[in-house]
Amino acid sequence: MRTPDVMTQLRPRLSLRGRLYLFSGAILILFAINVATSLWGSFARNESSLAYQEAVTAAQLTAELAQNLQNKRQQVLVLATLRETTDEPLEDSRLDQAETDLDIIAERLRQLGSYGGEGLEAYYRRLHESTTTLIAQWRQFYERYNQAGPTPPVEDARSYSNAQQRLQELDQRQSFLAVQRANAIDRTITLTDQITIIGFISSIAITLALVFAMIRSTNASLTRMKTGVERFGSGDLTYRIDEQRDSGEIGDLARTFNEMSIKLQTAIEEMNTARADADSANAAKSMFLANVSHELRTPLNAIIGYSEMLQDELGDETEINREQFHHDLNTIIFSGKQLLTLINDILDLSKIETGKMQVSLEVFNPAPLLVQVCDALSPLLAQNGNKLVLDIDKKSMRDMESDRGKLQQIVTNLFSNACKFTKDGKITVSAVMDHQSLTVTVADTGIGMTEAQQARVFEAFIQAEANTGLKYGGTGLGLAIVREFCTMLGGSIEVESQPNEGARFRVRLPAAPA
Amino acid sequence: MSDERPQILLVEDNEVNRNMLIRRLERAGHAVLTAADGETALEVMRAASPGVVLMDMNLPIKDGWTACREAQADPAISDIPIIALTAHAMEEDKVRALEAGCADFATKPVDFPALLKVIAAALDANT
Repeated sequence: MRTPDVMTQLRPRLSLRGRLYLFSGAILILFAINVATSLWGSFARNESSLAYQEAVTAAQLTAELAQNLQNKRQQVLVLATLRETTDEPLEDSRLDQAETDLDIIAERLRQLGSYGGEGLEAYYRRLHESTTTLIAQWRQFYERYNQAGPTPPVEDARSYSNAQQRLQELDQRQSFLAVQRANAIDRTITLTDQITIIGFISSIAITLALVFAMIRSTNASLTRMKTGVERFGSGDLTYRIDEQRDSGEIGDLARTFNEMSIKLQTAIEEMNTARADADSANAAKSMFLANVSHELRTPLNAIIGYSEMLQDELGDETEINREQFHHDLNTIIFSGKQLLTLINDILDLSKIETGKMQVSLEVFNPAPLLVQVCDALSPLLAQNGNKLVLDIDKKSMRDMESDRGKLQQIVTNLFSNACKFTKDGKITVSAVMDHQSLTVTVADTGIGMTEAQQARVFEAFIQAEANTGLKYGGTGLGLAIVREFCTMLGGSIEVESQPNEGARFRVRLPAAPA
Repeated sequence: MSDERPQILLVEDNEVNRNMLIRRLERAGHAVLTAADGETALEVMRAASPGVVLMDMNLPIKDGWTACREAQADPAISDIPIIALTAHAMEEDKVRALEAGCADFATKPVDFPALLKVIAAALDANT
């Protein structure tokens, strides 16, 4: 079984340049093959034409030789008859002429020999033998012509007919070989023509196939790129082009694109996170504004309501109940102070956020400060019917250098929170000092918090529940301010709680011996 | 207190504001019943059938919106008009109160003459 991975590995991976080189090389090789077969064909044609010329020349020579022999023999026969009848000697010039004629014949015979070839050698040798014999006999005839004595013999019996027969045989053989050779050459020409045509047609086909394959493979690579760009562009930020499918320039391009995609994806994700953060900060501020509006209206309702009421009652001209009047004025003052605390909290947080909150260090003993804070908050304690347990380890207490006002506000906020969320319960404020730090714990027996609520309770504008502020008052600023102050003083705060089992806030502040 | 005067049920958990409104409403001639949470408010509505209810929405035990919806679902008390009286003064708070079934909506700090008119209108509409 071939897995897709193996398939991918088997697929030839060539760069664009490699493909172009391969393509050009293949076309050049095809071109060379075509040229070679074409050259072979034209060489064969040349051969054929040469062979034809040779055959024609040889035939001509044969015919001339035959004619010469025939002419010479007639001359010799005429001379022989003449010698029989006249006995007149031959002139020297005629003898020379005869010599020359015989030389020409011998030369023709020699020329004919050069058109040999393996198949003709035996025939030529026989012809040469009989013709040379004939010429020699004729020479002898001429030499003896002017000598006294009987008429010399023209030739041996059958010498001439032998020579003629050999000549005829050679001629036939030559024709036969010429035809044979022409046939072979024709076959070669036909073959090379066929090869040339087939080569030409297959060159076109292979070139077309190569062009098609090249277009397809390049197109597929480019399509992968295009798909990648489109998918990424339409918002699919996790889409990556398969870098393994291409090598060379297109593979490089894919890798570059993927690197760019990773950077863009990171940037876009960061942007989205930043936007979500900004949105959630905005939502928190809107929520905070709604809470602030609610919290401002609650004491204002009392202040305005009581004032209008007192004004109305004054207008009744009935006698004023002084005790009632005093109580009503107290209510107005208490509500006014509540409003002031709220405004101060908002201002404190704003100062902290803009970095304008200062720490002013002084040396003081924290024990009296804690007692003082608890005393000051006793009305708040009474409101929900809670009891206070004050557990200050006075023996361990000594002077420390810190910000007195901030410690006071930390304890105040924790204490008033405990009072707010506890009804008819117990609030324990304990403090202990070791050689390094002061630990103040404010524990209550109130409604407590889940773990999720504890995780967010120190965030500004956040209360344990969205509508906690509505139920219990407060804007969700108190604990945020406490945590900021603890941090500013170099300390820390932590909370332990369970729903319906109260909460325990533990503050640790550095208190090195002075 | 005269039994002929239509009764007002004031539902408010903040003691200071509750006392203030009781005094002002009584001074304006209304008989006032009180409840400090939504659950008690529904009990009082069933038992005393007041002419109109002034309901704070942020209440312990059962909040104002839930109490409104339950009152609407109970045929015995569904015809008692409920006026939301809340420190939530945003437009969406008004919509939310009306959706819960409140007949009208008033914000804190209270514009008392206007509140008296709203109460009168609700009582008129109900009789």
